[in-house]
Amino acid sequence: MDRQSLAVAVAQILVRHLPQSADEETVAAVVADLVAHIESRSAAPESDDRRLVVVTVMGKNHSGIVHAFSEVLAENAVDIVDINQTLVHGNFAMMMIVDLTGARCDVQGLKAALKKRGEEVGVQVYCQYEDIMRAVNRI
Amino acid sequence: MTYTRREILQTLRMTELEHFDIRTVTMGINLLDCGHDDPSEAGRRIHAKLTRLAADLPRTVTEVADDLGIRVANRRIAISPVALVHTRPEPESYVSIAKEIDRAASEMGFDFVGGYSALVQAGFTDADRALIASMPEALSTTSRLCSSVNAGSSRNGLNMDAVRLVAAMLKETAYRTRDRGSIGCAKFVVFANAVEDNPFMAGAFHGTALPEVVIHVGVSGPGVVCQAIRRAGPCDLRELESVIKQTAFKITRVGELIGRIVAERLGLPFGIVDLSLAPTPELGDSVGEVLEAMGLERTGACGTTAALALLTDAMKKGGAMATSAVGGLSGAFIPVSEDAAMIAAAREGALTLEKMEAMTAVCSVGLDMVAVPGDTPEDVLAGFIADELAIGVINHKTTAVRVIPAHGKGVGDSVSFGGLLGEAPIMDIRTLSCSGFVRRGGQIPAPITSLRN
Repeated sequence: MDRQSLAVAVAQILVRHLPQSADEETVAAVVADLVAHIESRSAAPESDDRRLVVVTVMGKNHSGIVHAFSEVLAENAVDIVDINQTLVHGNFAMMMIVDLTGARCDVQGLKAALKKRGEEVGVQVYCQYEDIMRAVNRI
Repeated sequence: MTYTRREILQTLRMTELEHFDIRTVTMGINLLDCGHDDPSEAGRRIHAKLTRLAADLPRTVTEVADDLGIRVANRRIAISPVALVHTRPEPESYVSIAKEIDRAASEMGFDFVGGYSALVQAGFTDADRALIASMPEALSTTSRLCSSVNAGSSRNGLNMDAVRLVAAMLKETAYRTRDRGSIGCAKFVVFANAVEDNPFMAGAFHGTALPEVVIHVGVSGPGVVCQAIRRAGPCDLRELESVIKQTAFKITRVGELIGRIVAERLGLPFGIVDLSLAPTPELGDSVGEVLEAMGLERTGACGTTAALALLTDAMKKGGAMATSAVGGLSGAFIPVSEDAAMIAAAREGALTLEKMEAMTAVCSVGLDMVAVPGDTPEDVLAGFIADELAIGVINHKTTAVRVIPAHGKGVGDSVSFGGLLGEAPIMDIRTLSCSGFVRRGGQIPAPITSLRN
């Protein structure tokens, strides 16, 4: 299955589960997004040269948290590789894997900037090299 | 997502909430090229070499720890057994070297340097005798120096003359440091089957078969194991072992990661990960608490030895899967003064020295950080040490004794050292005489199991 048809298949599944407001136009947009996403990911260097860092944000849920942190990342030219958010026992939890290759800061700089923003927004921020996740969770 | 939410949150819980830390990153340094007839020249060479090699270790470890979001509690140095560093074999020579080592450690900000040691399991050299004779002064006039004697091995048997010398040395050291709870004795350990790559104090030294310089790691993690056991609930023992193994795997992986990165950044070879569960006096960081979470009312209850056997074995199995560089002592430490639940159990009388002796048959080390009355006769101390070392010699395992005959104190008192060394209640020791046995002197011959070729 090529990427295009994979994306169509994915989108069709999405449509089946999405509210009825999803029309063909939306599906086309979703397909375009998916293709761009998949292509950008496969083009990204997968070598160990990437400096991946796991950023976890936790705290009381309120509006603007994602924005607050993505702003800090953008200011430092840090690429978000993966992002996921959820509510744990009513608390907001966001996990991001970011790539520091080509960023304007090192991990300590990023940590300091994120912690500062965390204090302003009233949430906890943790910042660890991805190596630790791999070491602990993968054989 | 590359990792599930659960994986990320579990990892974070381990590193942030459950007292998880790496206990020590220890740099092993060969000092055998620093010898000189003139002890002050030997001391100067040792100081220069330590400073040249170890000065960057604390900063590098802190950087790596910050990058990974993991605490590393201690940075330490293990040196070649000082009795092997050539100099004039007189106690004063070694005292002056001890002071140089202590000065170097203090200048670089290390809390402990281990290796003021002699390996005498099969007899003494002149240097060994001089070094042991220098220990009371060396241990009472330095603060960062750790010392050890290997008095027995499964190959050579047990050097009872060394055991008696150690007992006498401990009494004198206790007296000389009486104003500080006899702390000099807390910095000394006597071994059977001492290992050459142990990163933990007080028994660390840099063995003669190791590289010039090497980075070892000692993990920790009783808090993490304890929480995992509590979460597992009332499962059966096979399931319990599985929970401990999985936790040990994670802990060990983190240790190896830290060690490898530190070694790489310093351009040095990576040595071993010591899998030992090592407690601290902090609440929630206790091996005794792990045993109690397994279902004992108190550490020292019947069932304690069995629980500890399961725990130690599971730690080894999980850890061995996680790294191919297992070494050191690798088991579980059960020091009394450094473990909140052990302190409580000893204070209540639940944990006795006899029960501890039994426990040491199935864990990694021995009668560690136990305080006994200051008036305990020298021969009784010798017998106490000999019993523990005999367990190691016969069973092909490391055993050790770190005992503080706290000067001027009796049962019911306690001595407080502060920091990692913690607080030790004075425990009751049998004072029935064993003089007729220990004063025979000589060597308990190697066991029949030493003939393996």
